[in-house]
Parts: sequence; structure tokens; C-alpha cells
Amino acid sequence: MHLVTAIIKPHRLEDVTAALKGIDVNGITMSEVQGFGRQRGHTEVYRGSEYNVDFVPKTMIQVACDASDADKVADVIADAARTGKIGDGKIWITELSRVVRIRTGETGTEAL
Amino acid sequence: MLGLGVVLLGVWAITWYFSTKAGASMLGQSTPALKADDIVNPLNTVWVLLAAFLVFFMQAGFMMLEAGFGRTREVSNIMLECIADTCLCGILFWAFGFAFMFGSGNGWIGHTFFFLNNAPATYGSTGVAFLAFFLFQFAFADTCSTITSGAMVGRTAFGGDLLYSTAVSGFIYPIIGHWVWGPDGWLATMKTPFRDFAGSTVVHTIGGMIALAGAIALGPRIGRKFKRDGGGMPPGHDMVLASLGGVILWFGWYGFNPGSTLSAMDFGGIGRVATNTTLAACAAGLGAMLFAYPRSHKWDTGISINGFLAGLVAITCPCYWVSPFGAICIGAIASVVMVLAVDFVEWLRVDDPIGAVAVHGACGIFGTLSLGLFATGQYGLPGATGADTSIRVEGLFYGGGAKQLGVQLLGSAVVTFATFAVALVVMYAVKALGVLRISEEIEIGGIDIHEHGAPAFHPEFAYMGHSAIPSGSASQGLKIPRSDETTIGVGD
Repeated sequence: MHLVTAIIKPHRLEDVTAALKGIDVNGITMSEVQGFGRQRGHTEVYRGSEYNVDFVPKTMIQVACDASDADKVADVIADAARTGKIGDGKIWITELSRVVRIRTGETGTEAL
Repeated sequence: MLGLGVVLLGVWAITWYFSTKAGASMLGQSTPALKADDIVNPLNTVWVLLAAFLVFFMQAGFMMLEAGFGRTREVSNIMLECIADTCLCGILFWAFGFAFMFGSGNGWIGHTFFFLNNAPATYGSTGVAFLAFFLFQFAFADTCSTITSGAMVGRTAFGGDLLYSTAVSGFIYPIIGHWVWGPDGWLATMKTPFRDFAGSTVVHTIGGMIALAGAIALGPRIGRKFKRDGGGMPPGHDMVLASLGGVILWFGWYGFNPGSTLSAMDFGGIGRVATNTTLAACAAGLGAMLFAYPRSHKWDTGISINGFLAGLVAITCPCYWVSPFGAICIGAIASVVMVLAVDFVEWLRVDDPIGAVAVHGACGIFGTLSLGLFATGQYGLPGATGADTSIRVEGLFYGGGAKQLGVQLLGSAVVTFATFAVALVVMYAVKALGVLRISEEIEIGGIDIHEHGAPAFHPEFAYMGHSAIPSGSASQGLKIPRSDETTIGVGD
């Protein structure tokens, strides 16, 4: 079992969600996050003073899936999230050691 | 004991002094001879000023309503647009807006009182101090200008907003308004005059039609899908703001409608107008809620807010001439008109985030026509010293025939089409200059950050631990060394 975590531009969320539904993923978790990568934030102006703002609003989505599907999920997210401009985000895949479905107590791939 | 004696002596001394001739003249016991104007004019002026302050407070309502129905990324923009429009409107109305609208001239435009020059003590026969009347009318003009911005939320460039707002508050509203409310406006001086008590046509239809033209010229927000394409209105970000904004507007309406008597002496009229305004809003709020329920099986908060606003817009024109029962009927019909108009605007694929076209445009038109149906024929006009019933306004349902209805239809149609045509020209002209709409990049990144420097919500979170960059260095692209720099995510 793998967890695909992607940081994307907030306005790509709708397209990414639609694309993931298209390959029948079991579930998606999204959260609003703030961060920076090579883009190194941006400047903002508040009441006449300029500020270097490191943390830019981003959207994080997480999809738990079977190990064999992880690469496909990552590809689908990347294709749907890409704008070609700086700040498109990153995707990483991690291994999951144990998954439990709370309602039934099922574990492992059954619980996905 | 001694102290009490001193106090008593003191009291006696004061009483004695004021009973003498010298003391009596100091108290001014000679009663001044008051003329009627000395009481009527201040009373009417205080009443109109009170109403003007209430109408001005509607700005707060509009700002909250638009912010609540808007998305987080555009709230700072909405706030500043309303503030800037208000300031701009004040200056323009002082310079020439008021002169175009309320100066005497011909049937089409006024041309006295530019820069408020040569102003008399009171305006016309109202007995209201000239500048109090000006302030009241400025608050109305500002309302019209703000209605317009509601349909254009989220994608209008700030420079474009200033340009078209200049056209709205300086020219379109005052000149077309002159036809109806000017001392010699051609719609007001017809044989059976076109009647618009507090501005269903002048403020709301004009505002709503400019809003429609603006929304058409702008096009929808990026990613906005319409109902017939399987989408719908993107939800607003804060229903608390939206609801409070709606109720503050309702409160402000107590200046808008009752204040339009311009006369505290017509106390019967003020009471009737205030009650009619309330009942129409109540009927419309319930009406919209109940009409929307079978369609979605939800008690829709957003539709209910726009519902009572629709009732308020509709009752604005006929509020002086109808009965409380008539007001309830008008409010109830207006709520249905509003919901259907929202559907129609959606079907046209016009993106109106606040519902300005449906609430102000459509219900402004309906309210104007409703006078021709529901006017009871008992009431005439408010006057400086009391109600004047020498002329009576009577509608179709109360045996007055279709005469008033016909005039209302004519006036409403003329104002609607003239405003829409002129506004389309203005909006497409601003569009041709390339300053009407923000770029796609700005719209996606958030108009607040790009146009105004910072987001509306939680800017302090991002600035935590940072002091301002010394001026100039950031724009030159210099990197500022910081002690807390991390290497996370830098890579390569």
C-alpha cells in the first residue's frame, strides 16, 4: 500500500479531482497548506511596506492506493495539475505499513 | 445647621435676583416670534439628514453582502472598490452630478448648481437645507454605483472600476435620474407624471442594468460553469457577513424610503412608508424561502437574503401610495420575480456573483410597474408642511384604470433601455482600453494580492517573524539575507 501526496496549485484542484475520479481512486483527502519550493515565495505589500512572503497558499491532496497503482495515480495528478509555470508543485510517494477502516475494523488492502 | 442656613440664603438670593428686571432679561423671558418656517425647515432638515445617514450606512451593508457572497481571494478588492466608489461619487456629485440631476435645465439634463454654486438656503419647496438635500441625494447616487460593482465582483481591474464608476456616478445616474427626479425632468412633467417615490427605477433599475452591461462586457469568472452546462453559482465564503450585510441594508432602507418624503411634517406618510417597507421585505423573505424550497428541498439562506432585498427594491417605488396589504402582495410577487430572474441570468450565461441584476434590475422594474396596479388612490404627495392630497395616485386594482400603469410601463422601459444601451457602450469602451478585466494570471493567483498587495484574511500568518523589506530593495530583486533561512525544498 502506498500514499501519494501531491502539493498543487489551488486552482488546479478541480481538474485533478476530476482526473482522479476518472481512474476510480477510492478516496482523496485535501488540505489547504502554505509553503515554498524553488519558487521562494513572493512579495506582498501591506499598508505601504513590502514583505517577502515565504509561504504561498497551496493545496495538498493525499491518495492511499495499492502499491501497483501508485505510479499511475501520480502520473494522473501530474498531468492534471501541470500549468508549465513555476510553482506547479511536487508529488511524492511513501509506503504505508498499516491501514485500518475504522467502521469495520478491516485492515490492509481491504481497508483502502 | 449653619451650612443649611447658608444654602437656604443662597437659594433665596438667586430667586430674588431672577425676579428683578435685570435678572429676568438675562434669562430671556421675552418669547421670540416664530414663523412656521422656523420650525418646519429645521424639522424637515433634521429628518432628511437622519435618513441620509441611514442610507449612507447601506454602504456597510453592501460591502458585507458582496464580501460574503464573494470568495476569499477577492474580498480586499471588494472592500476597496466600495470605498473608492463612495469617495469618487462624493466628489463627482459635488462637481457636476448633482447639477445634472437636480439642477434646473431642460427635460433631459440640469445645468445649475455646478460645484454647488449659487445654492439657495433650501432646496425647492421642500424646506430642507440645500446641503442636507445634497447629502441625501449623494447617498442615493453612491448606492446606485455600488449596486453596479456587485455583478462585476472578482474579475474587474481596479483601474477599470474607477473609470466606469466615474461614468456611472458622474453621468449615467445623474442624467437619466434627472428625467424622473429633476425639477423639470420630462418623465416627471408628463400630463400623468411617471412616479418613482424612492427609486425602484432611478436607483435600482439603473444600477441593475449597468450591472448587467458590466457583467456581459466582462464575461464570467474563470472556471465559472453555468447551470445549463452542469455547474452553478460558486458558493460565497461567509454567510455570516452576507446575512448581516442584507439586514444592514434592510435597516438602511428605513432612511431610503421614509426619508424620501423629504418632510417630517408628513408624519402619516413616514409611518405608512416605513411599515410598507417592512411588510414587503417580510413577505419577500418568506416568499423566496418558500418558493426555493420545493426546487432544492433546502431552506436556502442565500436566496432568502436576496428575497427580502428583492421585496425592499420593489416596494421602493410604490411605498407611499399603497396599503400595507398591497405592500405584502408586492413583496411576495417580487420574491418570485427575483428567483426567476436569477434563473434567467444564469441561463444567459451571465456571471452575477451577488445577484444584482435579478434583485435590483428585475425587481426594480417590477416595483415600478406595481405602483400602477396597487396604488390605492387615497394618497397624493408629501409636502413641506404635510401630506398634499390635491393630486391622487390610483392604480388598476383600485379602480384607477390603466393610465398610471401605462405611464409606469413607459417610464420604466425608457429608463431600462436607455441605461442598458449607454452602459454597454461605456463598458465596451473601457474594455477596448484594455483595463476592464484583470489578466488570467492575476485572477487565478488572487486579485487581492496582485491589485492590493495582500490577501484579505490572515496576512499576519505569512509575515510571521519577518520585518518589512527596506523600501526599493525587493522591487529590484535583491535577496535579503535572513537568519531563519531554511533549506527545505530548495533541492538541486
